[in-house]
Amino acid sequence: MAARSRGAELDLGWISKIQVNQPAVLRRAEQIQACRTVKKEWRAAWLLKAVTCIDLTTLSGDDTFSNIQRLCYKAKYPIREDLLKALNMHDEGITVAAVCVYPARVCDAVKALKAAGCDVPVASVATGFPAAQTHLKTRLEEIRLAMEDGATEIDVVINRSLVLTGQWEALYDEIRQFRQACGEAHLKTILATGELGSLTNVYKASMIAMMAGSDFIKTSTGKETVNATFPVAIVMLRAIRDFFWKTGNKVGFKPAGGIRTAKDSLAWLSLIKEELGDEWLKPELFRIGASSLLADIEQQIYHHVTGRYAACYDLPMS
Amino acid sequence: MIQKHQQLLWTLDSLLTGRAIREVRSGDVPLAQQLLQYHAVQAHVQEEVLAGWKPMGVIGLILPPTFSFLEMMWRICPALAVGCTVVAIVPPGSPSTLLLAQLAGGLGTFCGILNVIVGPASLGPTLGRCPGVQKVAFCGAAEEARVLRQSLAGHRLELSLALDLESLLLVMDSADLDSAVEGVVDAAWSDRSPVRHMHGGLRLLVQESVWEETMRRLQSRMRRLRSGPGLDGAVDMGTRGAAACDVAQRCVQEARSQGAEVFQAVTVPSGGPLFPPTLVSGLPPAAPCAQAEVPWPLVMASPFRTAKEALAMANSTPRGGSASVWSERLGQALELAYGLRVGTVWINTHGLRDPAVPIGGCKESGSSWHGGLDGLYEYLQPSGTPGQLPFVFEHLNYDSFGLALPTALPAWPETGPSPVPPYGLFIRGRFQPSGAGSSRPIWDSSGKLHGYVAEGAAEDVRGAVEAAHQAATGWERQSPGARAALLVALAAALEHRGPGLASRLQRHGVELEAAKVEVELSARRLRAWAAQAQAQAQGHTLQVAGLRGPVLRLREPLGVLAVVCPDEWPLLAFVSLLAPALAHGNTVVLVPSGTCPLLALEICQDVASLFPAGLVNVVTGDRDHLTRCLALHQDVQALWYFGSAEGSQFVEWASAGNLKPVWVNSGCPRAWEQEPQGAGPELRLRAARTKALWLPMGD
Repeated sequence: MAARSRGAELDLGWISKIQVNQPAVLRRAEQIQACRTVKKEWRAAWLLKAVTCIDLTTLSGDDTFSNIQRLCYKAKYPIREDLLKALNMHDEGITVAAVCVYPARVCDAVKALKAAGCDVPVASVATGFPAAQTHLKTRLEEIRLAMEDGATEIDVVINRSLVLTGQWEALYDEIRQFRQACGEAHLKTILATGELGSLTNVYKASMIAMMAGSDFIKTSTGKETVNATFPVAIVMLRAIRDFFWKTGNKVGFKPAGGIRTAKDSLAWLSLIKEELGDEWLKPELFRIGASSLLADIEQQIYHHVTGRYAACYDLPMS
Repeated sequence: MIQKHQQLLWTLDSLLTGRAIREVRSGDVPLAQQLLQYHAVQAHVQEEVLAGWKPMGVIGLILPPTFSFLEMMWRICPALAVGCTVVAIVPPGSPSTLLLAQLAGGLGTFCGILNVIVGPASLGPTLGRCPGVQKVAFCGAAEEARVLRQSLAGHRLELSLALDLESLLLVMDSADLDSAVEGVVDAAWSDRSPVRHMHGGLRLLVQESVWEETMRRLQSRMRRLRSGPGLDGAVDMGTRGAAACDVAQRCVQEARSQGAEVFQAVTVPSGGPLFPPTLVSGLPPAAPCAQAEVPWPLVMASPFRTAKEALAMANSTPRGGSASVWSERLGQALELAYGLRVGTVWINTHGLRDPAVPIGGCKESGSSWHGGLDGLYEYLQPSGTPGQLPFVFEHLNYDSFGLALPTALPAWPETGPSPVPPYGLFIRGRFQPSGAGSSRPIWDSSGKLHGYVAEGAAEDVRGAVEAAHQAATGWERQSPGARAALLVALAAALEHRGPGLASRLQRHGVELEAAKVEVELSARRLRAWAAQAQAQAQGHTLQVAGLRGPVLRLREPLGVLAVVCPDEWPLLAFVSLLAPALAHGNTVVLVPSGTCPLLALEICQDVASLFPAGLVNVVTGDRDHLTRCLALHQDVQALWYFGSAEGSQFVEWASAGNLKPVWVNSGCPRAWEQEPQGAGPELRLRAARTKALWLPMGD
């Protein structure tokens, strides 16, 4: 696990003069999606890299032990063994980066992963996911309970009403308290960018979250109408870069929601590479929150190895 | 056709011009298709929309080396759409144009509408000399354009120039800096099809308070650019050929020796045709290297303190093609956009093009337009213009034309009905004697002396142009309503003076009835142009596919307009030329009719009391001499000449100095009393220039 981010003292001057021009950011987003394409064995390599950055997620009302157990085994064996053997990557320890579940299911996940003999961390969503419209006391308590059950990563959700009413100090305080409640665990702050209203607000919220000590900032819960899109990501990545230039701390980035195809995942990897550089291209600083993405990646790798398109039953389900 | 052969076209184009294939594929080819569609639609509606205009005939097109097929399309489409035929001269080694011509020929119905000849650009003058060629359109470097202008003077054909290479980008402190940096990358180093032809460098002006931040982000972004062969799909920046790299290398060395800081992020194999993206800073305008055009792929960055200073710095080069303004403050952005002397302004974006939006320039970027309605007008002439046979004065001595001031001995007796005509040159709102201190006599039709007028000379012309410039800023800012009111007031004053003017006209041989008609018509013209000034809106909005947000097509004044009035219709022509110039916001320097300048001076007495000083300046004297002074003056923005054929040739030749647009009559008299010729849409077109203002929207 990467070292915890040290955060910074609140300095509202960092966000006071910021302007984000939306049409220009949209243009940049279109360009990036078209610009770097990868083929052949490099593509397979990039796809495997994407697999190692996935936070395999299940956040549904009908989660029980059975589907959590299937998910955890898929986390340990994301790609079929023979395909990995064909790529000569079977003993590199390819697993996903984490398993992400609701707080009530953390126990089940920990048990299943222990049975599989896998040291992939369990991440829990907390603080009133997904709407965060509960009292601060219960939100903090959720974090503590999840940590007691064995989660080592916590995905918290910010209080959007504070952003929309411009209460930046209050937002900083809340996230600071989440940070303290997490203790040694890894804190990811979900900004729910689809509900923040403008790209300028996205930048400001990102900066505040990083100043308060988040290890990662995450675009969305996956439950909003608009989840992870490139324009929003570009703004957040610029905030991460600016924070790094100001304090030397590297904060990670996680897009979540709406990433379903392998092609998307490659576009995201190249976005990170373009905006932040190669150091961010590893699970300590980049995660993709996805559930069905893994199946599509496995299909693409199957095609690369065998030259044929797989039927859905050829590949093990999660 | 283009769709079927897309892949061939884009591969070929990328190979030839060296640009990244990704840009050609996703930018150029769809744009070419859009161009064709737009112009096909225009051709359909031509009958209604453009009634009163007819196509020019044969157009010659001269293109520079390393241009893309898209640039040729930009010029050919409007020409063909309005019904002209095209002969294009392309440099050897450009099969993409031949391919296009072949495809066009394959369409079968009309042979010969598009002809392509492969040859050096020096064939230009030869093309111009062929009878039947009505217009030559030239794209290339400024020096060649000057030579072409001089060699084609007097050939009775229009010459339109498209020269701009360099672009300008203005970053204010209220801008989104990261997006502005992306704008710089788009403008300077992406191979998106450039506004004009060859892609030049970029002048970057950054507000001092955000200089450090911007430079830091720009340099970090430059490290991520990839330079490589054009056919590689992942490359951002291709090459422009070895010649362009040499130019860039020389410029970089000169810049270093003059103390600039040069930053190049990417390393490329030396000796090859690739050149890394380069950022040059610390080179103020006084340094010699900073005065020439910025070559590809350099970006010359300079700081400025305030928005006013930015405008002054931006307008202080002879080039005026395109610019972008980056600011999130609406008022500031619009003020800069209106104040920049360029043909196209983008706000918070750069490099967008669309078939419906005109692209052109001003000052030494040439004054031809392509795209949109203005592009169509380039290839049209008003119906009823008689065809003219070329007749060139081969031995016209340009150096001595109009140089000497003829002297005249005083004549007497000075008779004639009172009132005594006003005497002097009308400059800066009052009558003053000429610098030379001499006068010339004006004879009426019966041989008697009508009066004296001052003999204007070079210093007087200089004073008049200065006065016009001083009045220009105030006059440009006047609302159309205010301008209209002044013109109407002048019309009323003219009518008041009617009998006096009519009697002067009579002395010059005009029948009394005809004289009265002339006076009345003059007053009517003034009122008509006043109404025009009001009706002419601030610009109209174009809807552009692919952009959320309006694009404004503004009509701006040219600046100082110099007019040499014809001898025929001394009063009517004077008024018919003065009114549209003023209605569109220009300030004027006029040389009135040689046979009867007293009428103009009479009107000036009213102008003195009604108009701001310096708005209208009248210089009397020897027409050839004054024409010479005006044509060679670098600070006159346009020149309208209605005089002799030799004079027309001289004016065309001399305009190569600052590449001002000129309008000559080649010695043929014009029927001023008829509406189309005296007050038609051609005047409206020529009295102002267009500016396209792009306003993307979104939050």
